[in-house]
Amino acid sequence: MNYQGLEDLELLAKISEKDRQALAALYDRYGRRVFALAVRMLNDPVGSEEVTQDVFMSVWRRGASYTSKKGKFTTWLFSIAHNRTIDELRKRRRDRSRENADIDDHLNIQSGDISPADAAVAQSEYAKIRAAMEKLPVEQKSVVELSYFKGLTQTEIATKTGQPLGTVKTRMRLALKKLRTALSAEMGAQA
Amino acid sequence: MTETKDNIESNENLDPRFENLASYVLGALDHAEERSAVENLIESDPEVQAEFEELAESADLLAIAVPPVEPPAELKNRIMEMAGQDSANASIQQATYEPARQRSWWQRAFQSGFAVSAAAAVLVVVVGSALGYQNNQLGNEIDTLRANLATESVVVANLQTELSTTLTDSETRVATMKSEMKVMEDDFGATTEMVVHQEEMVSELAVVNNALRQALSDQSWLTYVAMKEDYQLESWLASNTQQVTATEPTASGLIAVRGVGNEAVFQVHGLQQPQPGYAYTLWLMGNGDPRPVAQFEVSGIGSATIAFLLPEPLRFYSSVLVTQERVNGIGNDPTGTMVLSAQTN
Repeated sequence: MNYQGLEDLELLAKISEKDRQALAALYDRYGRRVFALAVRMLNDPVGSEEVTQDVFMSVWRRGASYTSKKGKFTTWLFSIAHNRTIDELRKRRRDRSRENADIDDHLNIQSGDISPADAAVAQSEYAKIRAAMEKLPVEQKSVVELSYFKGLTQTEIATKTGQPLGTVKTRMRLALKKLRTALSAEMGAQA
Repeated sequence: MTETKDNIESNENLDPRFENLASYVLGALDHAEERSAVENLIESDPEVQAEFEELAESADLLAIAVPPVEPPAELKNRIMEMAGQDSANASIQQATYEPARQRSWWQRAFQSGFAVSAAAAVLVVVVGSALGYQNNQLGNEIDTLRANLATESVVVANLQTELSTTLTDSETRVATMKSEMKVMEDDFGATTEMVVHQEEMVSELAVVNNALRQALSDQSWLTYVAMKEDYQLESWLASNTQQVTATEPTASGLIAVRGVGNEAVFQVHGLQQPQPGYAYTLWLMGNGDPRPVAQFEVSGIGSATIAFLLPEPLRFYSSVLVTQERVNGIGNDPTGTMVLSAQTN
């Protein structure tokens, strides 16, 4: 069977039946992105390996629990990866074991050991998100960075920025709305 | 770029159901209860579901826009291996196996191709973080060692307390045993004294026994009596011994009388066996009518010993006689052959 040709949900169905080849195919498809997200957030390739391993083992064990009510499959997968990385980030923050580099350092991260084509696509997408982010008001961009990539809670962001909690919530919502609009337009234009 | 008034006002009248959706999508809610509440709303409310999907797609874009990084090739192998083990263990629901966490951080760092290919700036950050992580690990190990030390200290303290208690108990037991031994020693001393006393008595009895043997050997009954007197056993025989004069050539005898009493003992030696149908008879004479005291037989060597009560003190009698009289035929006066006679004065 050509697993590479199967849709995400088809692979997930086979994973639910404990088909390891399906898991391998899904890993080939999303492993680099999950790993990259973890590296982006943790700035730690070793810890990112652990996170990636946990994410795909979670998919292996909980694949049957996925429903469309949880959003698209990628939404579900990235939410697992994001939440797992946030857990690790907050644990480390509690332990004061690590400090992340500045946001700009993260944004400057380069891809490694990937094909030139993938790198080109990634750079293209990265450029789009970078462009979309640049269009956001600095306050909104800040809350996205602090929450999504640095793992701060809304209360922590309010404390850090000195803004009311309601304002932080508003900025998060507006940032996501604008990003979606901007990126959709960018990608639609590219397509 | 800064926020506009319109941007802020556009969220002011936001439906409360949507209030925490963006925070949920960005993973920025503070408490698990808040996340559960949002998830319940998403599950139960189609409008919330729709809003969630829209916001979640934006979050997807954030993830997708991150430049991919190739993980170490062995990571896939580990995941596949874990999945295989997980399936094998599914029936017994074993705990999650996490081999990646069992490796040291520096091993994985070197095995990862990331560090080699990433930008120098990132490397600096990574190495810095790793060093910080290492320092933190060392700190954790020190904390663990300190905790272990504290635990061991408590254990040692407990052992010391137990040892002290045990020693106290032992000392108490030893003191009790010493006290018991003292009592036993006292008892032993008393017993020893008793033994010594009994040994002395045995020794004394041996002397008496020897004296008795000597007396029997010498047929000297009064010697025996005298010996007894020394040990205050037969003191009443000590005085007033009287020598009996023998009329029969081979015969001799003695009579002993208690000084203040009327108890007397007569002993005779060397008598011939009486004639058939006759027996020897002891008489007291000289105080009115003759008084027969007793009729007796003699041993094979002609000896006999008789204890009797004097009707009057011996000094009231003038003499003592031994005659042969018919058995059970004693008259008022001696009629048979006289074998011994003695004056009492």
